[in-house]
This record gives sequence, structure tokens and C-alpha cells, in this order.
Amino acid sequence: MLTENEKKELQAALKKYPNRRSAVMDALRIVQNGRGGHIVKEDMLEIASILEMQPAEVNAAATFYTMYNVNKPVGKHHIQVCRNISCSLMGAEHIIKHLERTLDIKTGQTTPDKKFTLSTVECLGSCATAPMMQINDDYYENLTDQKVDEILKNLK
Amino acid sequence: MVTVKINGKEITVEDGTLILNAARDAGFEVPTFCYQADLIGIGSCRMCLVEIEGQKKLQPSCVTPVLHGMSINTESPTVVSARAGVLEFLLANHALDCPVCDKGGECELQDMVYRYGPHKGRHAEPKFKFHEKDYVLSPVIIKNSNRCVQCVKCVRVCREVVGANVLTSLNRGDHQEETSFLRSFLDCDQDGNCIEVCPVGCFMRLPYRYKTRPWDLKGADTVCPYCATGCRMVIEHRDGVVIRARAQLGVGLNSETLCARGRFGFDFINNPNRLTTPLVRKRGALEPASWEEAMGLIKKNFSVGGGKVGGIASPRLVNEELYLFQKLFRTVFNSPNIDSSSRWDPLAVESFVSAASMHEGGVSIFDCMASDTLLIIGSHLSDENPVTDYIVRRISANRRMNVIIASPRAMKLDSSATQLLRHLPGAEDSVLEAIILNLNYDKLPDETLKPVKDARLEALLSTAGALDKEIKAIARKLGASSTVAVIAGTDFLRAPQSIPALGLLKDLLRSRGKKVTVLPALDRCNQRGAWEMGVHPGFGPGYSRVDKKGLGCDGILAAAEQGELDALYIAGSDVASMYPDGEFAAKALSAVKFLVVQDIFLTETAKLAHVVLPGASFAEKEGIFTNQEGRAQIIRKLLPPPGKAKRDFDIIRAVGESFDPSFGPKNPVLVLDEIRKEAPMYGDVSLVFNNKKNIEDKLDNRAALVKGAQSAALKVSRIEPRADLGGAEQFPFRLVTGNHLFHSGMLSRMSSSMTGLLNAAVIEISEGDADALGLRNGDKVSVRGAACEAQMTLRTRKGSGKGMAFVAENFEDAPVARFFRRGKGAPRVAITKI
Ligand code: SF4
Ligand code: SF4
Ligand code: SF4
Ligand code: FES
Ligand code: FES
Repeated sequence: MLTENEKKELQAALKKYPNRRSAVMDALRIVQNGRGGHIVKEDMLEIASILEMQPAEVNAAATFYTMYNVNKPVGKHHIQVCRNISCSLMGAEHIIKHLERTLDIKTGQTTPDKKFTLSTVECLGSCATAPMMQINDDYYENLTDQKVDEILKNLK
Repeated sequence: MVTVKINGKEITVEDGTLILNAARDAGFEVPTFCYQADLIGIGSCRMCLVEIEGQKKLQPSCVTPVLHGMSINTESPTVVSARAGVLEFLLANHALDCPVCDKGGECELQDMVYRYGPHKGRHAEPKFKFHEKDYVLSPVIIKNSNRCVQCVKCVRVCREVVGANVLTSLNRGDHQEETSFLRSFLDCDQDGNCIEVCPVGCFMRLPYRYKTRPWDLKGADTVCPYCATGCRMVIEHRDGVVIRARAQLGVGLNSETLCARGRFGFDFINNPNRLTTPLVRKRGALEPASWEEAMGLIKKNFSVGGGKVGGIASPRLVNEELYLFQKLFRTVFNSPNIDSSSRWDPLAVESFVSAASMHEGGVSIFDCMASDTLLIIGSHLSDENPVTDYIVRRISANRRMNVIIASPRAMKLDSSATQLLRHLPGAEDSVLEAIILNLNYDKLPDETLKPVKDARLEALLSTAGALDKEIKAIARKLGASSTVAVIAGTDFLRAPQSIPALGLLKDLLRSRGKKVTVLPALDRCNQRGAWEMGVHPGFGPGYSRVDKKGLGCDGILAAAEQGELDALYIAGSDVASMYPDGEFAAKALSAVKFLVVQDIFLTETAKLAHVVLPGASFAEKEGIFTNQEGRAQIIRKLLPPPGKAKRDFDIIRAVGESFDPSFGPKNPVLVLDEIRKEAPMYGDVSLVFNNKKNIEDKLDNRAALVKGAQSAALKVSRIEPRADLGGAEQFPFRLVTGNHLFHSGMLSRMSSSMTGLLNAAVIEISEGDADALGLRNGDKVSVRGAACEAQMTLRTRKGSGKGMAFVAENFEDAPVARFFRRGKGAPRVAITKI
């Protein structure tokens, strides 16, 4: 259930758009922030009913964008490594392996201390600085193993 | 017009033609996955890439219109290798499990790879799998996403055509999966159009699963036996069991679409409870008998002349049978007492036929959709005629037109309406009269009449439960249109006092120089055919005048109840279940001195008979159905009737011959010749079966529309509204009836797929009313009327009118007919939670 504050925030967001359904991304963001980083079935059903959309449509928006985590609780730091073509050519696979080794988890998993979740995503529009990753809201670019180690250290 | 060159060949096409269609017109094949004429183009699969001279990149021909002087190559080496490349990518994650795939043998991906594909893939990566096992999406749909080519047709047909919009694409890239909300079980229309459009084996029919290979099937072209939309389809059997019905792209007005009843409801054909032998009543019980014995009894008990006899034939028989049936009564039994509907009053039918101008000939739904304004009234189109609903949705989305829906119940099609009017049930007359008054308002001869009109208008608005501005808006739109189409449904027959207003509105608009067409929305596949064959006590074939008017179903039952009916022959109608006052019908039928029932099941009516004759289903005969538009369409025979059952044609003929050996014509072909003569509407109607795959969207076979009747003997009668059953305080809800989306009369109750979708009665009220009563969707409730009480499951519907409860006519455990009282208006009910 959306809290009163979340509902208010959504009502405010609705004012920005010509029709209700356009606010779906705001709604998903508001809910995800309020749930500690992920979205569950009930949230999508509620958003659908508020925005007068089909639940399937909310589900589609929520799974199209990798910034939403549907039914997938994430750690404090959500690491999303781009695995699309430019980044792959520049060694994304290697960076992913390195992260898996360092964090001792597989892609898609969360560390037991719930600090890190490792995911791969499609192009984040930063091909010029490939390989790259996003951790929560920040981009980290031109990655190398050493750079990754340093970033992780600073996050601890 | 634009002239372009395709592979060196010059062709001139209309402006805006897609390169794909221009190429096809020029005789070149271009492969496609995501293109479909009746869906909005998305250009996503890239199968249709072509090379345009002067452009560096290949272009998707399914979304690129031709420009003057373009030179296009559909077969250049680049195009050929691009196609192979697209297919190689489509196969990269594909399961390649053709040997266990239901689609194998008729799969578009198989065909394409065979023709255009690389016969070897270069992908070394492990395949991505969406899931291990196929998952069930509904009682009729099973899904395997690992075979998907991401054409998104399933999602698009569900959204753009069906309007259910319950499918979507989850995730993206090679993980994009077309499925339901979180892959959960679908609570949807269950029409399986997602299955039909899927080029591969992703969306599949659950009842058909692993039953056969497509090449082991034998099929017959036919028409759906449920509602009067008249959807063309193919039914297929293996070893005598019908296991699939499918629609074909570009064939019939429905093209690839069907509703749940059409696509899955055919399995009553092989229901083990089919009647396979004549039955005769011996010592009170029905026992198997020979045809000779059964016919002998009929000969003995049906008097030719003198005694009072009657006949009721089902609007699901074919025209040839219906024609012969009325001829049997009119010429052999010398009786005008015949009817084809147990629910409608014959006077109402005659008035409706006349008000809707059915005698003026066929009206194409596509013409209706080309008008400025479409008014839908008296029909819950989305449930009664689902494919008509699809056509309205699809076409109205693509052109500027007014779609006005006037209905007490909310429906799926509401989202396509430009204006909605929620009026009170049974108040179509007030709505229409108020519109007429508004249209005429300025034409007052005299200012002093104004207050009179205003008072009248106010009274009409209150009986209609409508607002002045709503009616004004409708009148304004009608007034401003030069072409108007009205879809008028069976609620006019349920509340026949509304019929004159329908005729009046049509005449008024016509008198203003507008082109007005009325399309009757009917709920039995051949209701229009039954009327046009003259199975009606007041008119003969082609709506011709009859010398002697007779009794309709109601009159026949009344005579029977008085013990005055010597014999009654019912062919295919379940009068006992459908006549609105079940108790009376049962009593009357039991009082008939000699009752013959011909049917494919032992219906409630058949159980009361003295002789039961086993007839044939639509799959076991040939003949013509005339749909609601007046489109005459052939059905073909797939199987022989089971056991000793016979074609209804042969039974009716044999009954006639036992009284008069010359009775005939002797076969359906000759009967058709006679129909063409006796009912000139059918004189030159074309029955040519166009079965060509029509990739473009030219679905309107106008040659199949019946012509106008030359001497129709019809008039609109003013029918007084029946007194309400009363008791508004005790029974707060007015009962509204009709067909459920998954059912049609009692026939669909014999289909296990349909009963699998919905088996027990539901009662539907508005969300607001439910809230006020503290009831919730899914509650078990008791529904009590003055005459009957039954238990049902509650459904709530957003947007429906207040104080109205809908119960479908299709459930024997909640026999709606029993809530009615003969001669009285719609009953009222109270709903309480159990
Ligand atoms: S059956 Fe019809 S309503 Fe249901 S998902 Fe398929 S297309 Fe949509
Ligand atoms: S499931 Fe079928 S129709 Fe839907 S996108 Fe995949 S291949 Fe196309
Ligand atoms: S029931 Fe009516 S709409 Fe549905 S498939 Fe049959 S004819 Fe078409
Ligand atoms: S490919 Fe990685 S940011 Fe574009
Ligand atoms: S058919 Fe043209 S892109 Fe799919």
C-alpha cells in the first residue's frame, strides 16, 4: 500500500502530465524509493488502479527500465554493469568477472551482508566512456580492475 | 497515385501505399513477421527489409510508404543476406524444439527459415531460456516463450482489436517476453486471438495440446454457430473428433479473429450426451426407438387439417431447413402457427424488422463504420457480439467518427466511445424520443407549444435516467452528420415499446437527407435467416404477406396450456429453458397432446416430448446462415451425424413426405432454388466462397448481402410496455438479461471448454451498488425475485448504471426464465450475501 505521503507525491507528479498513465515512471520511482529499492506485485496493482492502467502495462514499464527492480530486493549499493556492445568491446565481461570474484557473488545476486547487488544492464548511453557501470544513481566510467577496487573500497 | 519501380517492374499505386503492399501487388513476395494489415505497424522484426535505390540502409517495407519515382529492390543480395541475418538472430535463443511443438508443420518461422534462412547458426553462446516448462495462462491458453520471435502481434491484437489489453512485453532486448502481468493466470476474454496471430508455437490452445499434427487434420469451412456476427472459421477433426476451430487471415468479415465461443466452443459436437437415436415415450419414459416407429407416431398424431398444431424452429438451423419447416406447416399441416424464437413476441419481431429496415436488404458493418456517427443502443455488444465489438474498436480508432454508446451496463467497448450514455434499463424508448424531440425542437410551428415540449422532454429524461446535456449532445452529433449508422440490439425485443422510436428516429434522419443504416445486433447465428425464410406467424419467406396470420411461440404455449393444442413440433429450440416464464412454459408444454422435439441434446424441452428425433449439429450439414448484416454464408459438412441421427433437412422432409409424398423440394440445392424464387431478397445473392488468403484488409464480401424485399408486408406496431412485476422496495434491482461472453443460449452449455471457463451463474451489479450493500466481487449471494430464488456469484462492474442486476440467460442452475412472469415486464430482485 502506498503511504499517504507517497500518494501525495504521486498526486503532485500527476500535475506534470496531460494524462494519468504518463505518470507511471514517477509512480514506480516513488514506490521503489519507499520500499528500499524494489517493487512488488501489490505495488504495481495499486499503481495500475490509481493511474487507470492495466497491471500488465505497469509491469511492462517497470521491467523495461533497468532502474526498477521488480520482485528483486537489492543491497544498499546496486551495481549495474553495462553489457551492451560498446562496453562489451571495451571489456565489460572482464569487469563483470572481476566484480563477481571480488564480491564473491554471481551476477544477479546480493552479498550476504546485503551491501551489494550485482546486475548487468543494457546500454546506459555512456558508450564513449566504456566500459562503465552505474551504482545507485551515479555513473562510474572508463573502468579498470583497479578503479573498480577503489570504488568498492570507498563504498564500504 | 504514385509510380514506383519494384525489381525493375513499374507499378502505379495509391499515395501512401506501403512498399510491402506495392511489392505484393507487383507480384513479389516479401516475408513478414510483425506486419498485419489490421494492426498498427511497428516495423520491429526487420524480416521485410528492402533496398531503396539511393538509400544506404535497408528499410522496413511494412512501415515505409512509397514515394514517387522510388526504385525498390526486394531480392538484391544485400536484402537476401539481411533476411538470413534476421532469421539467424531469431534462432539464436530459439528453443528449436519443433518435434514437440504444436505449431510444427504450420509454423511461419519454420517456413521462413526453410526458404530464406541460413541453414546454420554461428552463435556459440548458451541460449537464453525464459523458463523450463510451458506455463498455463488460462483454461484455454498455454505459453512457451522460448519460441518467440518478438513480433508483438499477440499484445497488439489483445490491445487494438480485442480491447482487453491484458498482454504486454516484459523486459527488453533478447529477454523481452510477451506475456501477462507477472505471467499470472489471465482473467480475460479468453478468445485466443493471441494464439491465432502468433506465427510460432508460443501462444497455444490448451484443449488442442499434443492431440495431433496439423497435417493429420481434415477441415471444413464453416460459420460460427453462436451469435449472429457470422464469423467465418474452419473446423478440423481427427478420427471423427473435432479438435480445433480456427479463423483465417483475410477470410470472412472477422479475418483472424473469433471470440471464445467461436474458437473454443465447438466441442459440443463430440459431447457424449448427443442424441444418437430417436426416442419415444413408453409408459411415461423416453425409450430408444427406430425411425419407423417415431415417424409412425408422428403420422398418427399430427392431424392434417382440423386440429390445432404448431411449430417452433431454432434460429440455429440453416435456411434450407427453416424454409422447408415453414412450408411444411403452411402447406402440409395447413397451419400458420410457426415461430423461430421462444423469447420474442411476434409482433415485436415484425415491428423490429420494419423499424430496423431489415427488409431493405443487407447492411455491411464496414459501411456502418464508414459513417460519420455510429449509435449503439439496446445491445451489450462486447458480450453479445464480440467480433462486432472488435470491428467497431479497430476501425473507429483509425478514423474520425462519433461512436455513441447508450447502454445501462458498462462494456469493454465503452473505451472506444466518444460519448457514453448510461440510461435506465428498458428505457431505450425514452432515450430515443428525447433525442427526436431535441432534433425537432427548433421546428416548432408555434412558440406556445414550447412549454408542452419542455414538459414532455423533462418527463422523458427522468424515465430515461439521462441528463439534458447528454441527450442534447447526441442530438447535435446526429444532426451534424450526413451518414448515421445505428446498431440496435435485442434489448429492443425485450422491451418492444422502444421499437417505434427506433423507426421514427431513422425516418426523421432520413427525411433530413441523411443516409441512415440500421444494423440489428442479434444473438443467434441464423435468427435473421429464420425470419427471412418466413418462420414467423405474421410473414412468409422474404417478409412476404401471408393470407392467414397465426400464433407465435407465446400464443402456441397459451393454447397448449388451455389443452387446445393437438400437436407441437419443436425443431432445435429449448423453449422450456428460454421462454421468459419457465414455470408457465413447462406447464404448457406438458399439456400439449403430442409433442415432437428434434434436437441434438435431450434438452429440458425434449424431456417433455412424446417423440424425440436426433438432429445434426452445424458440423454435420451443409446450408446457409444469414448473419445479422444480411450476409448469406455457406457452412460445409465435416462429419456425418452421430449414430442414427439425421440432418434436420432430411427429418423435416421425411415428416412432410409421410403426409404428402410429393412434399419437397427433395434436396437442399433445390430448396435453395426455391428460396431464390420465393424470397427475391435471395434471388441473386452470391454464395461464392472466397477463401483466398487476403493479406490486405478487404474483408467485405458485398455480393453476399441480401437484397431488399420487393413486397415486404411489415408494419411497426405500438406495443404497450408490460406492467412491471412491481415491488421496488422489496426488490431493489431491476433484472437485465442477455448472453454471457462465454455462452450463447443453452448450446454453449454443452461445450466443456465453455463450461470450463464459466460453469455457474454470476450476477453482475455496479461497483457502487455493491459498495452500498457491503458486497464484494466474488461473494456468494442469494438472488430473490417474486417468482424465484437462486444462488450465484457476484461480479461487480465499474461504470454500470445503478439499481440494475445482470444475470445471463445461459445457466440452468439459475434459470433466468423462472424470474419472469408471462405478460409482465422485467422482474426485480433482491441480492443478499449468503
Ligand atoms: S485471449 Fe484475448 S483477451 Fe485474452 S490475452 Fe489473448 S487476445 Fe487478450
Ligand atoms: S508470443 Fe507469438 S505473437 Fe507474441 S511476440 Fe512472440 S511470436 Fe509474436
Ligand atoms: S459467437 Fe459471434 S462473435 Fe463469437 S466467433 Fe461466433 S459469430 Fe463470431
Ligand atoms: S554500450 Fe555500455 S553505455 Fe552504451
Ligand atoms: S514485417 Fe516489417 S519489420 Fe516486421
